[in-house]
Amino acid sequence: MAGERLLTTQKAIAEAIAQEMERDDRVFVMGEDIGAYGGIFGATDGLLAKFGPERIMDTPISEMGFIGAAVGAATEGMRPIAELMFVDFFGAAMDQIYNHMAKIHYMSGGRVKVPMVLMTAIGGSYSDAAQHSQSLYALFAHTPGIKIVIPSSPYDAKGLMIQAIRDDSPVMYFFHKGVLGLGWMTPNPRATGVVPEEPYTIPFGQADVKREGSDLTILTVALMVHRSLDAAEQLAEEGINAEVIDLRTLVPLDRETIVNSVKKTHRVVVVDEDYKSFGMSGELAAIVAEDALDYLDAPPKRLAVPDVPIPYSRPLEQYVIPTVDRIVAAARELVSG
Amino acid sequence: MTALVGIIANPASGKDIRRLVAHGSVFSNNEKINIITRVLRGLDALGIRHVLAMPDSFGLAVRAYENAGVSLRMTLLDMAVTNTSQDSTQAARMMVNAGVKCIVTLGGDGTNRAVAKGCGSVPLVPVSTGTNNVFPKMVEGTLAGFAAAVVSLEVEGVRESAIRPVPRLEILREGKLTDIALVDTVVYDERFVASRAIWDTSKICTVILPRVRTGTIGASSIAGNLPEAHLHNEHGAWLEVALGGDAIYSVLAPIAPGLMASVPIQSVRWLSMGEEGTVACSPAILALDGEREVPIVSGEKIRVRLSQEGPNVVDIGAALRAASQAGLFVSIN
Amino acid sequence: MGLSKETLLNLYDTMVKIRTFEERVGEMYYEGKLPAFDIAAGPIPGEMHLYSGQEAVATGVCANLQPDDPVTSTHRAHGHLIAKGEDLKKMMAEIFGKETGLSHGKGGHMHLFDPNLHFGCGGIVGGGIPQAVGAALAIKKRGEDRVAVSFFGDGAANIGAFHESLNLASIWRLPVVFVVEDNLYAISVPKSASTAVRSNAERGAAYGIPAVQVDGQDVLAVYEAAKEAIDRARRGEGPSLIEAVCYRFRGHFEGDPELYLAKGEKDKWKERDPINILGSQLKAQGLLTDAEAEAIQAKMTDLVAEAEAFARESPYPAPEEALEHLFA
Repeated sequence: MAGERLLTTQKAIAEAIAQEMERDDRVFVMGEDIGAYGGIFGATDGLLAKFGPERIMDTPISEMGFIGAAVGAATEGMRPIAELMFVDFFGAAMDQIYNHMAKIHYMSGGRVKVPMVLMTAIGGSYSDAAQHSQSLYALFAHTPGIKIVIPSSPYDAKGLMIQAIRDDSPVMYFFHKGVLGLGWMTPNPRATGVVPEEPYTIPFGQADVKREGSDLTILTVALMVHRSLDAAEQLAEEGINAEVIDLRTLVPLDRETIVNSVKKTHRVVVVDEDYKSFGMSGELAAIVAEDALDYLDAPPKRLAVPDVPIPYSRPLEQYVIPTVDRIVAAARELVSG
Repeated sequence: MTALVGIIANPASGKDIRRLVAHGSVFSNNEKINIITRVLRGLDALGIRHVLAMPDSFGLAVRAYENAGVSLRMTLLDMAVTNTSQDSTQAARMMVNAGVKCIVTLGGDGTNRAVAKGCGSVPLVPVSTGTNNVFPKMVEGTLAGFAAAVVSLEVEGVRESAIRPVPRLEILREGKLTDIALVDTVVYDERFVASRAIWDTSKICTVILPRVRTGTIGASSIAGNLPEAHLHNEHGAWLEVALGGDAIYSVLAPIAPGLMASVPIQSVRWLSMGEEGTVACSPAILALDGEREVPIVSGEKIRVRLSQEGPNVVDIGAALRAASQAGLFVSIN
Repeated sequence: MGLSKETLLNLYDTMVKIRTFEERVGEMYYEGKLPAFDIAAGPIPGEMHLYSGQEAVATGVCANLQPDDPVTSTHRAHGHLIAKGEDLKKMMAEIFGKETGLSHGKGGHMHLFDPNLHFGCGGIVGGGIPQAVGAALAIKKRGEDRVAVSFFGDGAANIGAFHESLNLASIWRLPVVFVVEDNLYAISVPKSASTAVRSNAERGAAYGIPAVQVDGQDVLAVYEAAKEAIDRARRGEGPSLIEAVCYRFRGHFEGDPELYLAKGEKDKWKERDPINILGSQLKAQGLLTDAEAEAIQAKMTDLVAEAEAFARESPYPAPEEALEHLFA
C-alpha cells in the first residue's frame, strides 16, 4: 500500500502525545524518566527535545505527589498526562487515583472536571516477576469514574491516546509492554502497523472485531489479542472459526458487540492476562449470562492468571499467563464439548 | 578600581560522623543558602558591585544569588567541581589571581584549612557552618557581609585594626612542607582515614597547637583548659598524652560537640614561632584540624613546625567599628 | 576503630566476592539475548540491576550485623545479600529461576528472601523502608538487642514511605538504621533535579534522627559510621541515618544506554573503585600483598563458578508449582 506509513505502537503513542501538545498548550506530561530517557517504554520518546522541560517534566520517585499534582492541575483547567512507569507501582499513589481522580467530578455534582490521562505499562511474559508484570486494569475498572483504555495495535494506540487527551474525564491508558514494538522485548510483528500521520480519534466504547468467526467468540485485550489471533489461525486449520474481539476499552464497555457476537457463535472464551477472580473475565461472563444466556451452547470459559502472583521462573510464568497453546486448547474443548 | 569579594561555601560541611558519635548539629544546605543570601545583601548594601563565588554541585551561591535580589553581579569561578576539599583550595587560588580583596568562607575548620592553602595573604571572613568550629565564628551573615565589604573597600584604619595574621602548623615530610593545620594536629592511634573525624581520646597520642586559646572545642581544648594556658597566648603547644600510667594530670576537654573526656597528660611543651618537633608514634594517622588526613607508616619521620605563615583573618567587630568611625553607615541629609 | 587484620581482609574478601558475582551475572545475562536484544530470552531473563561499584556500602554495613539482624533491600539487592552471608549457589539458582533457588524460582533477581538471614527485598522503590521499621518494632516489643537495617537509594528518599518511616522510627525510638545509597541518579534523573536537599542527612535531622554523610566508596568510612549507628540502636538509643555517596558502575540496569551521564563522569568515579581504595590502603600498611590479592580474586572466581555450575545444572521447577505457596 503505497504511501502508508508503518509505526510501532510505542512511536504511535509518542506521536499522539506530540500532536496533541502542538494543538493544545494545556497538555503537558509528568513522570519518572520521561525526559532525557524518553520514558522507560518510549511513550515520550523525543518529546523533551521538541517541547522542553517545562512541558516534559521528569519527576522524583514521588507517585502520590505527581499523580496528585496532575489531578490538581486538571481541576484547574490543564490537561496533564502522568506516566506511572509500571502499573505495579500504583500503590504509592492509590489514594489520589481511587479517591480523588476517580471521584472529584461526581462528588462535585458534575461541576469540577478532571481531564487527565494516567498512562502506565502492563503485562509480563519476560520474567520480570511479581512486582513488574501485572496487568491490573480490572482493579481500576472496578472503581466508578475512570475510563479504561487498553490498545493492542499501533493504529488504536494513536487514536485512543488522542481521544483520551481530549476527553474531559480521567482516563487510564494501559500499554502492554509486549505490544509496543520495543527493540529489547521479544519481537512481535503485530506491534508494527499502518498509522496515518494526521491526528485522528477512536471513540471509546467501540470494540474491534479483529477476526470474524462463527464457532466461538474470544473476548480479550492487549497482548492477549495477539495471542488469540495466533490461536485463531491455528484453530482455522482445524476447521474451527473463532471470532476475536479486541474490547479496546473496558470503561465504557461495548456490550452490544459482545452480546451480538455470542448470539452468533453461541460460545465464548475470555482471554485475560489479569488475575482471574473478581476481574474482567468474570465480569464478561456475567454480561454474557445476563444478556445472551439462552444463546449459549456451553458455559463461558475463562483463561486468566489463576489467582497467584506472577512467578519469575520462565516455566512457572508460562504456566500462569495464557499462551497460544492454551487458548487453542480451551477453544477446542469449548467447541467439541 | 572595583572591590572584588570572594565567597567559598562548602556544601559538604556539617554532616560527618560526629552526629553519631557525639551530638554535632546537621547544618542544612538550605540554611547555608540563607546565610549566603544575607552575606550578599550585606555586601550589596555597602556598595560592593562584584562577587566571585565557588561553584558546587548543589548550587549554594547560585541559589542564594537568586534569592538575594541584589544589584551586585556574581560570577561563578570557571572550575571543575570535584566534590572534595580541593575545590575550596582551587577556588581560593583562583580568587587570589582574580584580585579579590577578601574571601568569605562558609564551613568548618576543615573548610578553612583548605581555603588557607590557597588564599595567600587575602584576608578571610570565616562563617561557621561546620562541626568543631574553632577557626570560624558563629556570626550573622549580614554582618559578615558588612565586614567583608569594609575590608574590600579598604576603609581607613581597617587594615591596621581589623586584620589579624594567625599562625599555622606545617607538616614536614623529609623536610618538605606537605600539609598545614590552623587549629590542631593530632597524632591518632589508627591506621586509616575512614570516616575522618576523631573522637576517641584513648587513641590520641599527641596534640600540637599553633596557638593556645581557652574556650575552644575539639582536641585544641586540651591545652586551652590547662591552668597555665592564659600565660601562653603567644605560644603554640605540644602535648604528649600519657598512654601508660605516667600522667602528670588529667584535663577535662570537650573533644566533640557534647562529648567530654578526661585526658591524661604526660608532658607539655610551649612552642615559640619557628619551633618544630618530631612525631613520636607510628604507625598512626595525623589528624589536621579535626580530620584524619595523613597516614604515617611504621618508622616514618614526620616533623611539625609552628609558623606564622597562616592566613589573615578579619575581626568582624573591629572592622565594623572602623567602618562606623569612618562614617560609612551615615549619609548627610 | 582498631580493626584486626582478619576483619580488614574480610571486608576486602566480601567486596571482591560481590564484584565477581555481579560481573559474572552481567556476562551471563547477555547469553541467548543477542544479537537482537530480547529481555525475555537466555538463562537469566527479565531486568537486571547489578551492584558493581557500590560494594563498600553493603560490605561496611553488614560487617556489623549478625545473621538474625533484619535487613530490607531494594531492586539492586545482590550485594546486600552476599554481604549478609548468603550461599552463592542458592542465590545464583534463584537468579536462574531454578527449583534449587532461594524461592524455588518464584522470586527472581529482584525478589530475594531468606528467613534464616532475616533478609527481604523487592522491586517497588521505597517498599522496604517501612518494613524495616516494623522489624525494629518487633525487636523493641520483645526487648531484644537486634537491629534492623534498610538499604535504599537516594531516589527512594522522595517517596512518602521514606518520610513516614523516619517519623515513626523517631517517635517510637526504634532500633533501625536507614542506609541511603546515594548513587546520584534515580534511573536517569539526577539527584540535583529531584531532591530539594543536597544530602538526605538533612532530612534525617528534620525527623530528630542522628544522620551522617559518608564516603560510600571507602568501606572503612562506611564501616565506622555503621558500627556507631548499629551500636546505638542495640543500646536502645534509637534510629540513625547514614547517607553513603557512591556510584553505579553498570548503570541503572543492564542495557541502560546511560545517555544522561556527563562525558567522562563514570571514568572519574571508576578511579575511586572501592575495592582498589581498600586494597591500596591495606597494601600501604603491609596487610595485603599483590599475590594475596590475586589469591583472593582466584578464590572468589572459583566460588562464583561453583555457584554458576550449580545453577545451570539444577532443574527448573515443575510448571504447576506456580500454584503453590499462595497461603501459609
